[in-house]
Amino acid sequence: MQFVLRRLGFYLLAFWVSVTLNFLLPRFMPGDPVSRMFARSQSRMTPEQITQLRQLFGLDDRPLWRQYVDYLGNVVTGDMGVSISRFPTPVVEVIAGQIGWTVLLGGTALLIAVVVGNLLGILAAWRRGGFLDSMMPPFLVFVGSFPYFWLAMGALYLFGVSLGWFPLRHAFSAGTSPAWTGEFASDVALHLVLPAVTIVVVSIGGWMLAMRNTMIATNAEDYIVMAEAKGLRPGRIMFRYAARNAMLPAVTSFGMSLGFVVGGALLTEVVFAYPGVGYQLLAAVQGLDYPLMQGIFLTITAAVLLVNFLVDIVYVRLDPRVRVS
Amino acid sequence: MSVTESTSASLGAAPGAGSRPAPNAHLDLASDATPPAGPSGGPLPRRGFVRSLLRNRKATVGVGILALFAALLLLAPLLAPSDPTLITDAGSQPPSAEHLLGTTAKGQDVLALTIWGARSSLAVGFLVGLAATLVGVTVGLAAAYFGKVTDDVLSLVTNVFLLLPGLPLLVVLAAFLPPGTGTVIVVLVVTGWAGAARVLRSLALSIRAKDFVAAATVTGEGAGWVMFRELLPNMASIVMSTFLGTVIFGIGSQAGLEFLGLGDVSVVSWGTNLYWASNDGALMVGAWWAFLPSGLCIALVAFALSLLNYAVDEVTNPRLRVPRRRRAGVHAPGGGTVVSAAAGTATSRASANGHGATPVLEVRDLTVEYRGENRTVVGADRVSFTIGEGEVFGLAGESGCGKSTVAHAIMRLLRAPAVITGGSVRFCGRDVLAMPDDQLRSFRWRDVAMVFQSAMSSLNPVMTIGDQIVDVYTTHERVSRREALRRAADLLELVKIDRSRLRAYPHQLSGGMRQRVVIAMAVALRPRLLIMDEPTTALDVVVQQEIMAQIADLRRELGFAVLFITHDMSLMIELSDRMAVMYGGRFVESAPAATILAEPRHPYTRALMNAFPPLTGPRTELRGLAEGVRFTDIGDLVEVAGGHWVAPHDEPHDAPRDQEVPA
Repeated sequence: MQFVLRRLGFYLLAFWVSVTLNFLLPRFMPGDPVSRMFARSQSRMTPEQITQLRQLFGLDDRPLWRQYVDYLGNVVTGDMGVSISRFPTPVVEVIAGQIGWTVLLGGTALLIAVVVGNLLGILAAWRRGGFLDSMMPPFLVFVGSFPYFWLAMGALYLFGVSLGWFPLRHAFSAGTSPAWTGEFASDVALHLVLPAVTIVVVSIGGWMLAMRNTMIATNAEDYIVMAEAKGLRPGRIMFRYAARNAMLPAVTSFGMSLGFVVGGALLTEVVFAYPGVGYQLLAAVQGLDYPLMQGIFLTITAAVLLVNFLVDIVYVRLDPRVRVS
Repeated sequence: MSVTESTSASLGAAPGAGSRPAPNAHLDLASDATPPAGPSGGPLPRRGFVRSLLRNRKATVGVGILALFAALLLLAPLLAPSDPTLITDAGSQPPSAEHLLGTTAKGQDVLALTIWGARSSLAVGFLVGLAATLVGVTVGLAAAYFGKVTDDVLSLVTNVFLLLPGLPLLVVLAAFLPPGTGTVIVVLVVTGWAGAARVLRSLALSIRAKDFVAAATVTGEGAGWVMFRELLPNMASIVMSTFLGTVIFGIGSQAGLEFLGLGDVSVVSWGTNLYWASNDGALMVGAWWAFLPSGLCIALVAFALSLLNYAVDEVTNPRLRVPRRRRAGVHAPGGGTVVSAAAGTATSRASANGHGATPVLEVRDLTVEYRGENRTVVGADRVSFTIGEGEVFGLAGESGCGKSTVAHAIMRLLRAPAVITGGSVRFCGRDVLAMPDDQLRSFRWRDVAMVFQSAMSSLNPVMTIGDQIVDVYTTHERVSRREALRRAADLLELVKIDRSRLRAYPHQLSGGMRQRVVIAMAVALRPRLLIMDEPTTALDVVVQQEIMAQIADLRRELGFAVLFITHDMSLMIELSDRMAVMYGGRFVESAPAATILAEPRHPYTRALMNAFPPLTGPRTELRGLAEGVRFTDIGDLVEVAGGHWVAPHDEPHDAPRDQEVPA
């Protein structure tokens, strides 16, 4: 319990850091980015809205500490201002409409990569010198060397443009509208294949290699020799004794890698014009929509921190040694 | 990535003066003999590191590819003299003699773009790697060296940065900063240093705990000296792999940023090439040639760096290397490697046979080799002995003499590179070395069980001890889980542990309790032979006595035979019926324990006995072997009296005990 509370404190601190970063960036960056934004979009706004945005970015006469306190208050109450590129939709609404797709894409890809990658790593370490152990790591390292977006574009060209097996863009066919029907679900699944597979292909090697290396270290532990001496069946030793211990570092890196997955999803979303916060983030940057950009960044950060916290709770369940200390 | 785990000394290396003389097997009895170069024992000697790295095939390929790109970078003005950004009206042409890789939609030569693009991409990548590693090293070292509040603050900052999602942060930062290559570098360093710092901090912490660092600190060396002269050189390999990792990160992320249009798109680099290709819709019109080369180049460079990184890992931790298939003895854990030699050809005349009746265990001419890449070390050399029903047979000798090797060989628990190359092991007449896997599994624990050196590490840390005992019952006997649990509880009570502790995890028990659990587990199936490999080494004297009394009780009750392994001669003589003394993989003496106590013949036996103080009587000076004394070419045992076998040695057995002479 104490462990969990300490972690919670840490995540709150991390979130505070990113909020503060968000507060400081537009105020202290050279080149006055906020003025650029105003110059571009002032004509479309009402005076009240301009005043509100001025406050958001510190272009008013309040002292800095006052601005900071107000900003913190706004973040806590979920008020992130109004999107400029999708004027006048509030930022929160724009994000709420998009985040589901990112969770779907990133979650699916992450789940497949983690499960399959770790299984491959376990098997490779168990049968040293076998095909999985000798051929797969270099191959996966090679595939993993390609930039996300490049592979994604290649896959798009090959399977989308040339072969026509998969749709080229978006999360569902134009003309259909989201509904809880089998037809729509399969349409979504079809659109999901290429983006998800490219993320899996690029990230699976890292999981496999890490698991393989931890397993090799674990296999040298005394308790594995003891389990063998006990005459246990190989499958039981492999999973209950070796993999069960070797997965602990993998659980930790699961949380850590989440940030990367979001990043990968961002590029993939751009290539496949897949809706999601990543795609929206880039659109916000291009449209100089700073409120939306900041809102998305904070949301992503909060989500990553939240998942990490959940992972910590799971970790406590998995490693009895943390429970007491 | 870090290499802090250590193999048990007895398995890791077997220095020995076996039949094949090993050139480097200097053994100094006075020191607690640790293997000279365990497979992964801490920091690596630096001299060997670069050489081993160069011999690694992955490293060679990696360096080769990088050299190729370095040449490309330097020779760019010669290879592609024309201005790569020159816009012509020959747009979107497929590869031809004039334009080897075709042209972009704007009519720029793709080959020239790719060659010139290498400059910016590689420069940014390496600069990012250098700067991020530098920051990481400084923060990591400072956190580890200063500890306390400094460490708390620095680790906190590191962990926060590590958690902030990288690419979104990059995008946001890049959006606020004026576009340009400098911005890209700064942004990438800001997001990339934390990973390096985390790895290096934990490594520096583990090195800082070592004695030589403490020594430097005590002698009054300054912080900078200790950090950069004592800690850093021992972290070279990890620093290098961190650097390679951040370069890969730098090149990949730069490409990603530029692809998103967030860099300076007027600079020619692989990332901007891809940006323009995507912007011009190259793929949609089928102009794959505009898109392929830059991506391939990024992948090749990243691949080369990964290979190099991988090679560094393998050199630092040789266990990661893929074992070669052709060598006999590559196997999954669980097999027990046996190379069947023409057993029986070298029949030894000497066997330390005591009883006439069918022995429980009969080991004959057992030979185990540790087959290294460059040399082979003999861990056990033609070892023969028998253990009778209910008998306690002791095996004594210093660390690394091959005691544990013999014990593991009996249960076929040895792993590559250890291979049984000759001899036989018979249990109640059954040939253990010839058993197929399923028979071997049921032989293990049911017939012969083993108590390992350290109870600390021989229990699975994430399973309750109840579940670990239940495993034995459910595997070997067809019993329900409920019944198995009940028996497990009875077993705990047998060793005087409360049955409620079934649900305890190993870390919740004291060292003595853990060892008792292991002993209970060992007798769960009432085996006829129990191998005890230094069962009390890690325990304090009081607990040692309790454990030994416990074992004696169990033996009275269950009547199993024991192979008892220790370097503690007094303990051994007290406990064993017969015993043997082992040195350098060979038996040097074997006799009833009382005989050894009364008249040890071999000088090594005497040295070993003199290395422990008697518990009672006048104070005597302790002596081991004299400095530099080693025995080589130990011959077969010869019977000198009834049941007393000694290896031939130069010195007459009644020579004064304080004048040990090298054989």
